[in-house]
Amino acid sequence: MPNALQLTGVSKSFDGFKALSDASFTVKWGEVHALLGENGAGKSSLMNIAAGLYAPETGELLIDDNKVQLKGPADAARERIGMVHQHFKLVKPFSVAENILLGLPRSDGSHRKRLRETERLIAEKAEQIGFSIDPKKTVADLSIAEQQRVEILKVLLAGAKILILDEPTAVLTDQEGERLLSTVQGLARQGAAVILVTHRMADVKRFADRVTVMRGGRTVETLDPQQVSIADLVKLTVGESLPAPAHARSEPGPALLSVRGLKSPEIGGRRILDGIDLSLRGGEIYGIAGVGGNGQSELANVLMGLPEPSEGEIALEGFGDLRTADMDQRRDLRIAAIPADRYGLALAGGLSIAENFAIGQVHSGRYGPFWLLREGRAREETQAAVERFDVQGVRNVRQKAALLSGGNAQKLVIAREFSREPRIVLAHSPSRGLDVRAGAAVHQRLLAARDSGAAVLLISEDLDEVLALADRIGVMSAGKIVAEFERPADRQAIGKAMVDHV
Amino acid sequence: MSELSNATRPTSAPKRQPLTSRRYALEIRQQMAWHWQALILAVSLIFGLGISAAILIAAGVPGGELLDEFVILTLFDAQSLRAVLFQAAPIVMVGIAGCLAFRARFWNLGLEGQMIWGGIAATAISLFEVGPESTRLALMFVAATLAGLAWALAPVLLKLNLKVNEIISTLMLNYIAANFLLHLVYGAWKDPKDSFPYSPQYRAFERLPEMFDGYSMAIPLAVLVALFAWWFVGVCRAGLYLRFVDANPRVADAVGVPVRKVIVGTVLLSGGLAGIAGFVVAAGQEGRLTQAFYQGYGFSGILIAFLARNNPLAATIVALLVATLFVAGRNLQVFYQIPFSMVQLIQALIVICVASSDFFIRHRIRRIAGRES
Repeated sequence: MPNALQLTGVSKSFDGFKALSDASFTVKWGEVHALLGENGAGKSSLMNIAAGLYAPETGELLIDDNKVQLKGPADAARERIGMVHQHFKLVKPFSVAENILLGLPRSDGSHRKRLRETERLIAEKAEQIGFSIDPKKTVADLSIAEQQRVEILKVLLAGAKILILDEPTAVLTDQEGERLLSTVQGLARQGAAVILVTHRMADVKRFADRVTVMRGGRTVETLDPQQVSIADLVKLTVGESLPAPAHARSEPGPALLSVRGLKSPEIGGRRILDGIDLSLRGGEIYGIAGVGGNGQSELANVLMGLPEPSEGEIALEGFGDLRTADMDQRRDLRIAAIPADRYGLALAGGLSIAENFAIGQVHSGRYGPFWLLREGRAREETQAAVERFDVQGVRNVRQKAALLSGGNAQKLVIAREFSREPRIVLAHSPSRGLDVRAGAAVHQRLLAARDSGAAVLLISEDLDEVLALADRIGVMSAGKIVAEFERPADRQAIGKAMVDHV
Repeated sequence: MSELSNATRPTSAPKRQPLTSRRYALEIRQQMAWHWQALILAVSLIFGLGISAAILIAAGVPGGELLDEFVILTLFDAQSLRAVLFQAAPIVMVGIAGCLAFRARFWNLGLEGQMIWGGIAATAISLFEVGPESTRLALMFVAATLAGLAWALAPVLLKLNLKVNEIISTLMLNYIAANFLLHLVYGAWKDPKDSFPYSPQYRAFERLPEMFDGYSMAIPLAVLVALFAWWFVGVCRAGLYLRFVDANPRVADAVGVPVRKVIVGTVLLSGGLAGIAGFVVAAGQEGRLTQAFYQGYGFSGILIAFLARNNPLAATIVALLVATLFVAGRNLQVFYQIPFSMVQLIQALIVICVASSDFFIRHRIRRIAGRES
């Protein structure tokens, strides 16, 4: 089979973080080629380059063995490359046909005529590949699986022959996922080239003709999935077990926070949180590993006191149900929260660094009584904290927090949250998007908090981070803690637990 | 394409780039020093005044007298200045009421309804002779504040509890208040003396007194309101909370700002200030409850808050400007028989000019390389 799309020696970095280094990848006409790797392995970055969304720093892109340069997604579409993103890019209030018409090149005729024509094309294509979809229906009324079909039809009708699907089964039920993958396999049999970005071993084994494994921004190996065991694939994805870094284990104290049977309300026969049990002990880091989208965000929201419906027990030692605590009480209980969405939940980008810092303790009257906010004092303390926590890029604490880089914004969050010796630390993906140095600084802070007796919960999709920091590790899958490991934990065993239960 | 056209062009290329091939990029500014902002505002104000002057001259007002009439007579004549300040007092209050509510991300379009209730409550105190004469005026003030505040309570609770859009609820409540006012002044509260549709005149001690030199008590009251609002948003802790609610309510909630309390409190304050404005118009200007005393104030309040970017001190200045336009317009009407619609046209022109200056404050236009360079 001839080569459809080929990427050679591709590198790309973001803010000094090397997302891809010397990655190479080839997909042939008529095959389903799986791209396997952990979160942050560089799968999506590589595919975004193939789809013309990012420009590579080095390396080449070849289509039908001819070198091409993509200046944007429109160029990619012209080269018949179509990508279905993990987060759908659909206009919700528009109908299916209108959404698809948006992505088609402009043609003659009135809008009404073109819409009719598109509806006919959709019906025809859907029939041909075995989708059932009503082109007149509004996208907002469709289920997730149906929306995904719209996305696929959109790229197919735009003429795509090289199809990139980014984690297509992550949002689907097992049956839906299976149906989708067999459809996609059918497309490949008719001559298309399909790239399946995934972390599910089972899908790879069943539906892929070849698989390329990525790890740490590199393409490790390309194999025939039939010739290799799942265990070996896991090993390739998570890498060899490294010797545990120096990590003096401190003696854990009593349980400070116990979660029992935590569930979210049932929606469509599924619970996002489906009976979480865990306990946090003082002087210990409890890491939650798992593939993204298995309920980690919801768990983080519930524990951090953000609006998130839940039932079950969250008992805080000496207080009672944590959910009844308002934010003031949470501060008094010295609970520090480092949410994953920095500018959505932790910092107001439009306000100054000093305001963002001072809001942490202003409730206690530290910066003057209610009727008088002592801004000078808040600024002084912010300045001191900025220095103590090494927040860089601060010329003046009055500058907007949005001007800080990701790592420094995170340091500012930590400076605020740790300004009163925390007793419980809740951290969700605390080093996501940070470069190695900033990430290491964040890790130091978490370890220091643990050593001073705090109970630390670290929810992260980065297995390396969890392995490096956690004293105990719970693996989260489909809303449950499916396995627990004591340090030193076996990387392969964790990797297997992460994917086995999906 | 461009290579082709290059080839056919004469070798002696003109030095100046033709205007049509120049290209400009529009960028969003991060920040701008305040004096530049002030300069841009001033330029746009002058631009608006220039257009207005041209219109007035075209309508037959002698150009030379225009400056006299507009600037000198309005601002440097004691009588007119008194009128401007007096007129500005309730406008300052509604403007600030708008600022506060908008800062809490609450689109209070019910300023007029809250004013009406302020007026009704004050009149009720007068009509039913509540309390001794010495405290009557203070009682009227308190009643007006509470009534305005109460009229804002339902929309804010509806919004927070049931997600009812406050734009609709506050706007519709205006009509209820206005029709209830008509019901009163055409019915039970009609002045028995002459049967006109307004309430009986307030007694002397129920009216805002003149302080000195003919300046009404309404003026220091407006100053107090402005100072209070400045303290509220800039000095006290609630101001910091309010900035967080304004910047990002989700972040505010997550970092422990009592978002609900802040929103309810601020909106009630907004309603209360509008109530006071109603009291000031009734007890200061009209001396009774009339059927249309509130008209135009709601619109002015929203406009002022928008132009002042919800800053209470800036709102005070803008309110003074609006009052000046109002008084100058009245003078123009009287002395030059300029129709009222033209006065409105001029006011609208100036407002549009000032409002569009916002675009230049937030954006930068930068010339980029031309197509053929």
